Amino acid sequence: MPVEVIMPKVDMDMTRGRVAAWHVEEGAAVATGDPLFDIETDKAAMEVESPASGRLHHIRAAAGAEVAIGTAIAWIYAEGEAVCDPPAADTAATVPAQIGSPEDTAEPMAAQHPRPSDALSSSVEKARATPQARRLARESGLTLNVIEGSGPRGRIGGADVEAHLLRNEGAAAETTQGWQAEAGSLVVHRAGSGKRTPILLIHGFAADADGWQKLEPYLAPDHPRLKLELPGHGRSPKRPVESFRGLARMVVEAFDREDLPGAHLVGHSLGGALALALADVRPKRIASLSLLAPAGLGPEIDGRILSGVARAGRKDSLAPWLRELVHNGTLISGDYVAAAMRARQDPALRAYQRDLAETLFPDSTQSVDLLAALERLQVPTQIVWGRADRVVPWKQALRAPGRVALHLLREVGHLPQIETPEDLAPLLNNLIRLAELDRPPMTLDAKGVAL
Amino acid sequence: MSMPLRETPTEVRELSYAEAIRDGLAVAMERDERVILMGEDIGVYGGAFQVSGDLVQRFGEDRVVDTPISELGGAGIAVGAALTGLRPVYEFQFSDFATLAMEQIVNQAAKLRFMLGGAVSVPLVMRFPAGSGTGAAAQHSQSLEAWFGHVPGLKVCQAATPYDAKGLLLAALEDPDPVMLFEHKLLYKTKGPVPEGHYTVPIGQAHLCRRGGDVTIVATAVMVHRALAAADKLAEEGIEAEVIDLRTIRPLDRKTVVESVAKTSRLMVVYEGVKTLGIGAEVSAMIAESEAFDYLDAPIVRLGGAEAPIPYNPDLEKAAVPQEPDILEAARSLVRGRL
Repeated sequence: MPVEVIMPKVDMDMTRGRVAAWHVEEGAAVATGDPLFDIETDKAAMEVESPASGRLHHIRAAAGAEVAIGTAIAWIYAEGEAVCDPPAADTAATVPAQIGSPEDTAEPMAAQHPRPSDALSSSVEKARATPQARRLARESGLTLNVIEGSGPRGRIGGADVEAHLLRNEGAAAETTQGWQAEAGSLVVHRAGSGKRTPILLIHGFAADADGWQKLEPYLAPDHPRLKLELPGHGRSPKRPVESFRGLARMVVEAFDREDLPGAHLVGHSLGGALALALADVRPKRIASLSLLAPAGLGPEIDGRILSGVARAGRKDSLAPWLRELVHNGTLISGDYVAAAMRARQDPALRAYQRDLAETLFPDSTQSVDLLAALERLQVPTQIVWGRADRVVPWKQALRAPGRVALHLLREVGHLPQIETPEDLAPLLNNLIRLAELDRPPMTLDAKGVAL
Repeated sequence: MSMPLRETPTEVRELSYAEAIRDGLAVAMERDERVILMGEDIGVYGGAFQVSGDLVQRFGEDRVVDTPISELGGAGIAVGAALTGLRPVYEFQFSDFATLAMEQIVNQAAKLRFMLGGAVSVPLVMRFPAGSGTGAAAQHSQSLEAWFGHVPGLKVCQAATPYDAKGLLLAALEDPDPVMLFEHKLLYKTKGPVPEGHYTVPIGQAHLCRRGGDVTIVATAVMVHRALAAADKLAEEGIEAEVIDLRTIRPLDRKTVVESVAKTSRLMVVYEGVKTLGIGAEVSAMIAESEAFDYLDAPIVRLGGAEAPIPYNPDLEKAAVPQEPDILEAARSLVRGRL
């Protein structure tokens, strides 16, 4: 199949280019990398190398002709390859094509080669794009005609869509200078319709309420689920956070607004530390506490992974950090990464989270120590930790008082709710059940005070 | 190797592909007295490619049967033997000669279960030394596996390694229906680890030989090795190819290929059979019809055999089927967005 020679885009503003001179004549041999022709733009003149080895045919833009970028201006046939009919005239071309050698038409296999003219017959309005590019554009709400294609004949590929998104994000980041402070209460999503004491789920750093999706089908259905989103995460406002204490106050405030008689708390990582802090200040309203790989029990934390996740602005840079979060990296599929990246598309959200990581975990150290709170706590409490956690070492769990139940999961990393929801949920459901055996479901008295 | 083993074999040795098949035949004959071998010159001569070797000495002429030089007759006897409850393994000297036996394979073996309402089955295994590269010219070098892949009722496998050659043979002997095993002649002397004793490689399951995120190369038989060699060189250039050995071309392992293409967004199919209307067409169409379609970021590339009989001249013979440099160049063009 002949290789097209295309008018390349050599600077950002270029839409058309002028062929200044050809270095190779029609029908002559050329090797990959040989100087093929010179182009001139408003700003520059440069030499273009041959994209293939073979013989040059169908030169359609003679020296002096100006054509749109992406236009095919000649074809290179492999040595001995049958030369097809000349390509049909194209509006972008300004020079009539020369004719290929006529004796080639007798070649029986010539019919199997796609003809350049077939490749040029599409209408101007219809964007040329790969299925991947169409899918990505659809998912990002973009129309294809705003995207510039870098592929053969200007075809838009997946990378072009991603580059377009990235450029727009970059522009957005410049105008917002990182992120702007917002006000308002934290968002709490409700799910499930059970009548018993609700389960309040608090996600970790750089996650959001969707992170509980894999776990939720396994949770006891008679408890409604409340999924809190931390500031600058998911759909919650980007409220400035000066310290862990300030963040905990926002969580308590959100909890109070819900006006719950009581709740079973499940917190993951940073959300675990916040759940513990919440239980510390509202002990009477907390029926049980399940801490998943919680922060707050020791100084060590892998800030490299956290800031890696927070910084990542595209799928390629996010995927390796996501894989660090789990024991079995193959869990992190391309779809998972894509979904995670979509949730992190807002550059302001990423900037907010970078700052938050710096506030809470400066120099890879957890600046908050909640061991005393854990010592004080009287509610049924358990800690669940993956032994292969690379973010927060599970050995910190050994600092917990003996009253606290400890479950150490083999071959599980920092995300037990995603890595092994079917094993995690029974542990959560059991503690909830046991806590309610101990103590009847919580109700409010006539004055709205928890009993 | 990470393939599931049905029974724990005792020891793993280095065997050639031909030795692995012989080993598999001997294991099957020891375990099951219904297993018999048939074919031209498979007795004292040891088989055209010395696959049966000394099996006639070990199991006797009643179980290692030299058949007359009539592929149609031999195949017919094998189909009949399978119908009576034996487990015949029929060897063609060259897969090209299967053209003489098509009536028995296509019209009888593949169809009897269906035509008799399931009252019978044809547990027949056929072995086909196939492919080019040995200087045996047009009538002894073809890759006809896709012909058989077009026939409902047949299963068609192409092992690329000694391990798979033995494992697929033993799986074929447990299958109630006719299984066609295509063995590339260039592979007979290649060596690889082969466990002792009985194990199977599931029919219909491809093998993900190499992981990579940039392009999926689906290959069969000797092309698997060329694709893997090309993948090593591509890796030095920063292109990570994922290589899938189909192992079975009917039924195709849709899941493995679809998942891989959804990941890499680029597909290349490399096979030795004639390019047109072959394995590449089937795999490409399967992807175009699948959920992986939306992930394609470049045209699908097929590298197949030339639209010509395999030439005798060694240089032309090489040029007639995909070689490692062809795979390299095509993968580069595909990944660097030149296609």
